[in-house]
Amino acid sequence: MSEILKAFLRLRRGPWEMLASILIAVGVVMLMQPFFLALYTWSFIVILVGTVMFLIVSHFPE
Amino acid sequence: MSYSVTDPSPLSRWIAGVTVVLYAMITLLPLLWIIATGFKSPEDSIAYPPKVIFEPSLEGYVNLFTTRTRISEEEQATPPPAETWYERIAREQGQSIAGPSRYGERFVNSVIIGFGSTFLCMVLGTAAAYAFSRFRVPLRDDLMFFILSTRMMPPIAVAIPIFLMFRQLGLNDTHLGMILLYTAVNLSLSVWLLKGFIDEIPVEYEEAALIDGYTRFQAFTKVVLPQAATGIASTAIFCLIFAWNEYAFAVLLTSGTAQTAPPFIPTIIGVGGKDWPAVAAGATIFLVPVMVFTILLRKHLLRGITFGAVRK
Amino acid sequence: MVKSTITRAAHATPEPVAARVRGLSDRAIAWIFVAPTLFLLLAVNIFPLIWTIRLSFTNYRVNRPNRDIEWIGLRNYERILTDADVWQTMQATAHFLIWTIVLQVLIGFALAWLINSKFRSSNFWTTVIVLPMMLSPAVVGNFWTFLYQPQIGLFNHAVAFFTGVDPASFSMIGDVHLAPWAIVIADTWMWTPFVMLICLAGLRSIPASIYEAAECDRASKWRQFWTITVPMVLPFLMLAVLFRGIENFKMFDLVVQLTGGGPGNTTTLTSIDLKREAFERWRTGYASAYAVILFVTVFGLASIYVKALNKVKER
Repeated sequence: MSEILKAFLRLRRGPWEMLASILIAVGVVMLMQPFFLALYTWSFIVILVGTVMFLIVSHFPE
Repeated sequence: MSYSVTDPSPLSRWIAGVTVVLYAMITLLPLLWIIATGFKSPEDSIAYPPKVIFEPSLEGYVNLFTTRTRISEEEQATPPPAETWYERIAREQGQSIAGPSRYGERFVNSVIIGFGSTFLCMVLGTAAAYAFSRFRVPLRDDLMFFILSTRMMPPIAVAIPIFLMFRQLGLNDTHLGMILLYTAVNLSLSVWLLKGFIDEIPVEYEEAALIDGYTRFQAFTKVVLPQAATGIASTAIFCLIFAWNEYAFAVLLTSGTAQTAPPFIPTIIGVGGKDWPAVAAGATIFLVPVMVFTILLRKHLLRGITFGAVRK
Repeated sequence: MVKSTITRAAHATPEPVAARVRGLSDRAIAWIFVAPTLFLLLAVNIFPLIWTIRLSFTNYRVNRPNRDIEWIGLRNYERILTDADVWQTMQATAHFLIWTIVLQVLIGFALAWLINSKFRSSNFWTTVIVLPMMLSPAVVGNFWTFLYQPQIGLFNHAVAFFTGVDPASFSMIGDVHLAPWAIVIADTWMWTPFVMLICLAGLRSIPASIYEAAECDRASKWRQFWTITVPMVLPFLMLAVLFRGIENFKMFDLVVQLTGGGPGNTTTLTSIDLKREAFERWRTGYASAYAVILFVTVFGLASIYVKALNKVKER
């Protein structure tokens, strides 16, 4: 667990980009799932956060 | 070639061949059906069950390119002599030709907008791709991503502000407006593809030219451009095909003078029901050039569809 | 060895001096070459995008130019994101998206795998299979309505031939349950070659030596498939799936011509719904907010796509 945390704290591209990608993917699933209206309502925020995060973290060093 | 243990056996190869050919046949069937329907008479086209063998007729093509009026009973008894072959075909349906349809115009619009935007796109795209390939442009990766992302945008979403902007500038339903728009959409593809092609040309050639006293610009036009000719040609065909096929912008931003063929073809209707042979004829004339281009492009298709990321 | 001499000579020439001699500096040329492209993209993409974001906070309507434009904050977003009808179009899009990807990946990969066995004339047949992909989706969609006609359509007769159902008894685009599948079939017909081509590239990128080594280790064909073929092709497959996903998320032309969104709202994909809001009901502000939601989603997916693209490029 602490290994993963350390990876994030070093502000490297790899893990952060992965996290942003996962956020975007989760957001898209929330947007299009047919089960809960509430998930759909909050999906846009999740996608937005993921996308903005991706834009920022893709400038971290490799 | 030497024998390898991993080569598939002749039998499995044969099975693979037969399966693929079978799939190709099935996939080809709708296309052949479009082409065949263009040569059917309206009655044959809606026959139940569908006719595979039919008497070829050019009615569809005549109906596609002309507008016709029905001839009254008396006129039919004493018809004025039919002068041309297409007049004769119309007569056989009890109609006389009143004038050309708008299909010709729409087709010409497609050609003008397609070639215009492709040309502009190649000029801008080659220059930008060269700069991205050879110079240290600040924020290069970000710019390249930005350029690609413009292509990913949903056309309908982009069309809302473009519609408002074009209305202000008086560009709605004009050739210039559509050429600029398609150029902008295609630029991403051309920059990415051409950068790949130019990356493959060894820098040494230009360096040699520079030592020979060429300026940078001369080195670009006299050394790089000829080397990249194949790449430029195939990129141009990709841009042309895209502009040729585009529908969403065309249907929202053009209605008359600058309308291209894709939004027009579905609106072709006949007398009392859809004139399918005319639609099929229009589609055939429109699709066949693309099929020919696809065959010409076959070596570069993969590059084109992956923005140059996958080479082989 | 001539080349390397020239290279060395080129590097020996001091850059600033050489630049002055050559006229325009490299930096100037770089900017002159890139500027027109950036300018056009800014004018046709970024400026309108900013405009859309601004409009999305208003109640502007194009067809009522005299009405005062009011700032209504996030209300448009609120309405879209709580609207069950918009949610419904997202689900229709999801159905379309998921099934097209599943079918295209299965068929596309299988075809690529078969073609990769390099039977005679495989190049010719690959070209034939690829044809539908390059055609105009709107014209193709329009023509598929003809193939789907209940009595006269080729598709219905093909189904009748194989299953014995009466070809006049069902209508692919008129039936609420069949219409979502009608668009899936047409899209699969059109875009399977795309997935196939990319998978084929993936398969061809695997060096034969790996299989030979596996053969020496007596790994079964089945094991080789799952431990060599699939992992090696996976990045390529990801690329194809992401691209098809983005394309079908914003699908408009093929479906609007094929079903027009009907019957009812069963095939009203998000783009078709957006088109109605923006260009039929003229609720420009509302449609702008709608567009921004799609923009951000596609932009997010595109970032992942470019990441996948770079991964494949390294191969």
